[in-house]
Amino acid sequence: MNVVIALTITGILNLFGSIFSYRKITPLLSIIGLTTAIVFNSMYWNTNQSFFNHMMVVDNYAVAFGTVCMVLAACLIIFYNRFMGDNDHHLPEVLSVIVLSVDGAIVMVSYTNLLMLFLGVEILSISFYILAGLKKKDLGSNEAAIKYFLMGAFSTGFLLLGITLIYGATASFDLSVISEYVKLNSTSTNYLLLSGVLLILVGLLFKVAAAPFHFWTPDVYQGAPTIITAFFATVGKIASFGAFYRLFQMCFSPIVNEWSGVIMVVAIITMFIGNITALQQKNLKRMFAYSSIAHAGYMLLALLSHDYLGGNAILFYSIAYGISSMSAFIIIHIIQTQTGTDEAMGFAGLVHKNKTLAMITAISMLSLSGIPLTAGFFGKFYLFSSAIESGYVLLVCLAVINSFIGIYYYFKPVIESYFKDSITDDVIKLKSVETILLIFLSIATILLGIFPGLVPAI
Amino acid sequence: MNSTPIDFFPIVIQFFVAAGFVGITMFATHFIGPKLNTRKKLKPFESGVQSVGNARQPFAIKYFLTAILFVLFDVEVIFLYPYAVNFLELGMSGLITMLLFMGLLLCGLIYVIRSGALDWE
Amino acid sequence: MIASVFYFLSFVSIFFAVMVVVSKNPVHSVLYLILTFFSIAGHYLLLNAQFLALVHIVVYAGAIMVLFLFVIMLLNLNAATEPVKSSLMKFAGAIAGGSLMLVLIAVLSKINSIQPAHEVNTQIGLIKNLGKILFTEYNLPFEVASILFLVAMIGTVILAKKNPHTS
Repeated sequence: MNVVIALTITGILNLFGSIFSYRKITPLLSIIGLTTAIVFNSMYWNTNQSFFNHMMVVDNYAVAFGTVCMVLAACLIIFYNRFMGDNDHHLPEVLSVIVLSVDGAIVMVSYTNLLMLFLGVEILSISFYILAGLKKKDLGSNEAAIKYFLMGAFSTGFLLLGITLIYGATASFDLSVISEYVKLNSTSTNYLLLSGVLLILVGLLFKVAAAPFHFWTPDVYQGAPTIITAFFATVGKIASFGAFYRLFQMCFSPIVNEWSGVIMVVAIITMFIGNITALQQKNLKRMFAYSSIAHAGYMLLALLSHDYLGGNAILFYSIAYGISSMSAFIIIHIIQTQTGTDEAMGFAGLVHKNKTLAMITAISMLSLSGIPLTAGFFGKFYLFSSAIESGYVLLVCLAVINSFIGIYYYFKPVIESYFKDSITDDVIKLKSVETILLIFLSIATILLGIFPGLVPAI
Repeated sequence: MNSTPIDFFPIVIQFFVAAGFVGITMFATHFIGPKLNTRKKLKPFESGVQSVGNARQPFAIKYFLTAILFVLFDVEVIFLYPYAVNFLELGMSGLITMLLFMGLLLCGLIYVIRSGALDWE
Repeated sequence: MIASVFYFLSFVSIFFAVMVVVSKNPVHSVLYLILTFFSIAGHYLLLNAQFLALVHIVVYAGAIMVLFLFVIMLLNLNAATEPVKSSLMKFAGAIAGGSLMLVLIAVLSKINSIQPAHEVNTQIGLIKNLGKILFTEYNLPFEVASILFLVAMIGTVILAKKNPHTS
């Protein structure tokens, strides 16, 4: 609860940055606010407190996912300073929207009431619609904002109708009451409940960008400012999966046979569409958009495992995916500001321009493709083993095939940066804070790849 | 005090009477009045000024900004009604809840005004 | 009596909702939308939720409609600039929407009788009871909603305000 309060206060302080002329220190303020919130959050570890008539429960699951979201948001804000140009004028307000959207993410991972889920999803989504359109003069950015808004509003409608039908069946928004009801009535088929579950599935699958609800992703990820795309791909996806797993594991696991078919089909389509389409992309942002769709497909496997393993697997995968994806997008952003292109050839000869950057690119790509000794490998390992333990062997085979397809396109930027000659020989200079942060992210990737036990079990 | 939907029946009747009056008058004038359509009569009336150009012109975003802020505060005011009715019963905790809610929106209002979003240049 | 009013209102709201989508002129769509909102307000009255009915009319038919009309005025709606909608897209949309409808009808028609899951308090929709629940049981969602408003407010200003140095 303190976390939400701390984040809200930070958001408001940032908001007044340009009015009371302290806009220069607003990035620092946001970092301090987020750090305070992370500290507050970690104090809730193992406490399992429930707030306000069981609206939110801060259990270990919520603490872990909340911390991941906040750390990633803090990384993003450090790099946001680089994103100048047209919108620098709005810096304090944009930081405020980012911090407040993390509020939404926190609500989404710690709700125990469907009403809170809806509010969390809305706070996160509305901030995202705004952030997608930040480049006001850029047509692509405008397109991204409008597309995201229309599609997102439509999918929220599905979510809301699903919540209504579930309320109709169980007479409660409270997750514990719903799970009691489902447990008691798991043998008889309750059509009202099932259609509610189906509609909620549609709404949440849209939010995590799983096929066939993925059509917005490439356009939005490509059109939005790169640094904001990093935010969508990491915090947005992780918070949505946090909400998704929480709801389906807490409430609907007794009727898993009713919805596992849907998840299986969606996961298979998502992995194949994501990976195969990513192969053909020239634009890196678009390629990563499709790769993030593929990652959503892998993460859906965790929903199918019917014990605590799934939670741990999805947490580890979220951390691994979040870190690597964040550093990948940040590098694209740096190269885009340097060379003016967000295509793979922008990486050409990166090793001559900046050795560290090339190294970090390689590490994050290895992690995203799931090569051993990186965090991504253990992420995939945990996910797949939790799915095998629940008996989905065929599904895991398909996922492994997809991981191999993924390696091909993840190596494109690495090959470009090490084995191609660059067009220009400008050295890319980074601020020391940025270099340290990027190195920190890569070290975290490798450390988690060697000692996966560093992530505590939830 | 118990209330049922039937209590609203008189209001529904009134609604239909009002809508019916407007409808019937508009319908009747078409039949009763003489019809003389000339070119000048069918032209859009713009306070006697000769109409120029296309009516479908994009207009300033400022109006939209004002309208959307109006909607936000309109929704906020809606929440005041249920609070006002229960003001005494809710006591201190209700007051704090409401003050927090209003405080956050007040921050927004201060921001909107001070950032000059409503200045008309 | 109540049942027939319900069926009438449902027919009216679905009919006008379809008209919103079908009508070619966007201003007509907005007018149909207003009628849809009024019929939905009627549904609220039938459920004995008078406060919600009034709010629905004030906020939706009043404020949000103005926004819709403003959006229509912001757009360039001359016939020449209308985008061409390919018939393939229409076909795909019809198939997707139709199959969703089919699934929902198939599922919901299996419900023989909707038993209320618990004793229904018919007075819950009155403003006083609503306020009591909102400010005691649901006060956290109420506060969180204010964060939502704040974000929306900041967002409009960011997106709609001109940058001073460009003007």
